[in-house]
Amino acid sequence: MSNGFRLGLFYTIVRPEEKALLAAAEARGVAVDRLPDDELTYPLDPPAGLPDLVLNRSVSHTRATYAGRCYEHYGVRTVNAPDVVELAGDKIRASFRLRERGVPTPRTVVALSPEAALRAVEEIGYPAVLKPATGSWGRLMAKVDSAREAEQVIEHKTALGSPVHSVFYVQEFVPKPDRDLRAFVVGREVVAAMYRASADWRTNAARGATTEPAPLTSELVELALRAADAMGGGVLAVDLMESPAGLVVHEVNPTPEFKALAAATGTDVAGRIVDYAISEGRR
Amino acid sequence: MTECPECAAAVANHDLILGEVFPCPDCGTELEVLATEPFAVQPAPAEAEDWGE
Repeated sequence: MSNGFRLGLFYTIVRPEEKALLAAAEARGVAVDRLPDDELTYPLDPPAGLPDLVLNRSVSHTRATYAGRCYEHYGVRTVNAPDVVELAGDKIRASFRLRERGVPTPRTVVALSPEAALRAVEEIGYPAVLKPATGSWGRLMAKVDSAREAEQVIEHKTALGSPVHSVFYVQEFVPKPDRDLRAFVVGREVVAAMYRASADWRTNAARGATTEPAPLTSELVELALRAADAMGGGVLAVDLMESPAGLVVHEVNPTPEFKALAAATGTDVAGRIVDYAISEGRR
Repeated sequence: MTECPECAAAVANHDLILGEVFPCPDCGTELEVLATEPFAVQPAPAEAEDWGE
């Protein structure tokens, strides 16, 4: 069935998602080369035995970015493409792109120093949300309700020492129900969507949010596809909030988890991703 | 059967595959499967700052 097609799986750890992808590939008779992101080396000339396509599932944004460029150099397609990983994995660049493409997204101000960050928070108004430019799962995010809180958070982030923590991504706090939406895009299709509900203002499934299927309304599908297209397309999880003015996209994830989504909706997400990878590898 | 490197509890391989991450049933430490035959585990890599979706 696979005609010798070989899929590379570039990964950091084998989570339920990677296990499902391996099972989906096996079910389709596709051979998989396991590519652990902490073991490989990349010479300047293409090594022998490269796979036909690499699914980039590294949870490390740094490794995912460089590996994508290495495989691109070797002439091996990756899903997602390196441009997509770099763009969507950087909240600052992603927000600019969403705005350029007219995709509704929360008001955001970027600042490159602690002093400017406080002004950025004042420009946004309270409450405001400070996020790291890279990373996810709600890690190192802070909601500030006053200038005093903002000063403390900015001081703590600066004290972490790394220059990346002195890059500030400040966003309005969107008044929304105690839930957000995740739409999962594979190629040109939204394959499933779910609500993520939590009493916490961060509704990441990784933080224990409860999930339930969401209807694929025309507004949701249209917006999710526009957001995915803005990033360059591929396999992307588009996170949206229900603002008083309608849906807004606050994040597009280029290495998305889907265990919770598959469980909530009964969709064979892994199978859809592998089918897409095979079709892309044969293009 | 092998031993958890953190708490020394006995850990069995129930359909785990190479590289899979799972919690130790006793202490909850995240473990990574190093080998399936013979079964061997090590502490899973710690979450790094640039990890995410």
